[in-house]
Amino acid sequence: MEDLILTLKKQIIEALNLEEIGPEDIDNDAPLFGAGLGLDSIDALEIIVILDKYYGIKLANASEGRKIFKSINTIADYIEKHRTK
Amino acid sequence: MMNSAVSITGYGIICAIGNDASSVLDSLRAGRTGIGQMKYLGSKHSGLPVGEVKLSDDGMKSLLGLQVAEPVSRTSLMGAIAVRQALAHAGIKDVRGRRVVLISGTTVGGMDLTEKYYVQMRAGDPHPDVPHGNDCGRSTREIARFAGLDGVETCTISTACSSALNSIILGAEMLDRGEADIVIAGGSEALSRFHLNGFNSLMILDGRQCRPFDETRTGLNLGEGAAFVVLERNAGNSIAYVSGYGNRCDAFHQTASSEDGEGAYLAMKDALDMAGLQPGDIGYVNAHGTGTPNNDASESRALMRIFRDRMPEVSSTKPFTGHTTSASGSIETVICLLAMQNGFIPANLGWKNQASGLITPTPGRTGVRLDNVICNSFGFGGNDSSLIISRNRPETKSAAVEDRLFSVAAEETVDSADQLSGLKEFVPPMESRRMGRLMKAAHLAAFRAMKDAGISCPDAIVTATSRGMYEISMQFLDDMVTNDEELLKPTLFMLSTHNTIGSAIAVRTGCHGYNITYSHGDESFAWAMRDAQRLIAAGKADSVLVVSFDETCPAFAEDGYSGHDVYAKALVLTVK
Repeated sequence: MEDLILTLKKQIIEALNLEEIGPEDIDNDAPLFGAGLGLDSIDALEIIVILDKYYGIKLANASEGRKIFKSINTIADYIEKHRTK
Repeated sequence: MMNSAVSITGYGIICAIGNDASSVLDSLRAGRTGIGQMKYLGSKHSGLPVGEVKLSDDGMKSLLGLQVAEPVSRTSLMGAIAVRQALAHAGIKDVRGRRVVLISGTTVGGMDLTEKYYVQMRAGDPHPDVPHGNDCGRSTREIARFAGLDGVETCTISTACSSALNSIILGAEMLDRGEADIVIAGGSEALSRFHLNGFNSLMILDGRQCRPFDETRTGLNLGEGAAFVVLERNAGNSIAYVSGYGNRCDAFHQTASSEDGEGAYLAMKDALDMAGLQPGDIGYVNAHGTGTPNNDASESRALMRIFRDRMPEVSSTKPFTGHTTSASGSIETVICLLAMQNGFIPANLGWKNQASGLITPTPGRTGVRLDNVICNSFGFGGNDSSLIISRNRPETKSAAVEDRLFSVAAEETVDSADQLSGLKEFVPPMESRRMGRLMKAAHLAAFRAMKDAGISCPDAIVTATSRGMYEISMQFLDDMVTNDEELLKPTLFMLSTHNTIGSAIAVRTGCHGYNITYSHGDESFAWAMRDAQRLIAAGKADSVLVVSFDETCPAFAEDGYSGHDVYAKALVLTVK
């Protein structure tokens, strides 16, 4: 799980161009959207692409992401349960 | 302002529900959609319904009588077809000796061709007749040539999905100020795999026929087409009049509309004020109504704020045509004209379920007299415009006042990527992370110029670019070809429209004022300056930010701009 979390953080940092942020700067439980990192709806779509590209998970619509993308931990949990690669 | 009214004397249209006005009228009255299985686009995502024009490229060429074997963009072909129809409808055979301007709105431009020939282009074997990227100005010049308007003045506006409506607004302004005798204004946009995949990456395409304002709506269907209107001053053969318009910016987000629909509200309010009309005078609103959850909720809110308890009949005609993106403003203007002339209101096809908090669209009406109608057209970045068309000649405006003079309060240039670290002074790194170097350069020049001029928010923002976000657009195209239309980055598509910089500056400054982007090759900046001076002369703005920008891209390094990899110039014009 820790490996997955580190990999996931690196993938998010790259996809979202979080240039000045390192994996250690992202709290596993902190909210990603709104108050936390301040990500927006386009970032959520980028995370949907990450799920598809690296873990073979396809979300049918963007609103499904809202529950899953609360924090790094909630995304990692979802990947563990649903990954096809 | 001059003591005159802007007449519409002719129109032409080609879209999914017909190749001319009479067949479009038949389809509208019969409730017959043009959306269905794709036949010509050739995308891997063939399950997505689209509103294609029912003609092959060769079919369009033969309709135009073009004896050319070389590839021509559908944007140019459809545009020329619609312009020819419009000129014939207006009874204009010879334009010699008259000041004629052709204004077209497009974003896709010749991208339908670029993407077809991209692999060989990248391999160093480009087709000599295929443009690089979405060079919008080239499309408009081709439309002029194929429509028999060689040598007339041409202009291209690229404010994403409001482009064509803004072309009509510019045409009306130019006539009003005596800058032209005849303006042919509208827009043309071909379907391309580029923007089909772009909208798909934003997850706002509906897998079924779109259902604007319906509770079950999940997105839009893309369409293609072109429409143009002929505008003249005080013409004897008026079909209707352009009586009011508004161009505003939502200044909220690049791809989302604000909850209260502020930009849309302000655009409609400006249009009503200009026309001297009350909400109760409007008989029909052709809504932007894309079918996305966000647009329809936001537009409903704006409509409710304007009309309160006097909501007119409202429909989106996108379930007929598909969302024809940059051409939608003129296609829907022509639909409004057909409705007014033939006494009917087109249905909001496919609507069944009332959505909470949204307007209730019309099932369609016959035997109605429409005196004033509103056409709404909104684009990415919140470039929101509204147009009012009236049956009767608007009351003449007060006597002309003297033009106001302008001065350049500040000018800044950024011409190297090395200078971009200076952006930190104005934009936190977390907020500039997605920008790419061109957007960064344009922001840096703009915010330095505004600082020099001592303003934090201009009254209007006018931008100019030949090729827009070239590097980012070509990256998206490259990914699309390389990854076989899968796993594309929504961020790249969001940034790819030519108006992305002008609207991003509006978001950052909170500028809800006039906002427009010219993309007409080397003449883009000259058109932008003309507009800025016109805004100040006519008393519509006291301060205008003009930003001109272009860049090279690795794929086509020969398309350099002034010898720089990245170049941005910003000016603040103020009233003297």
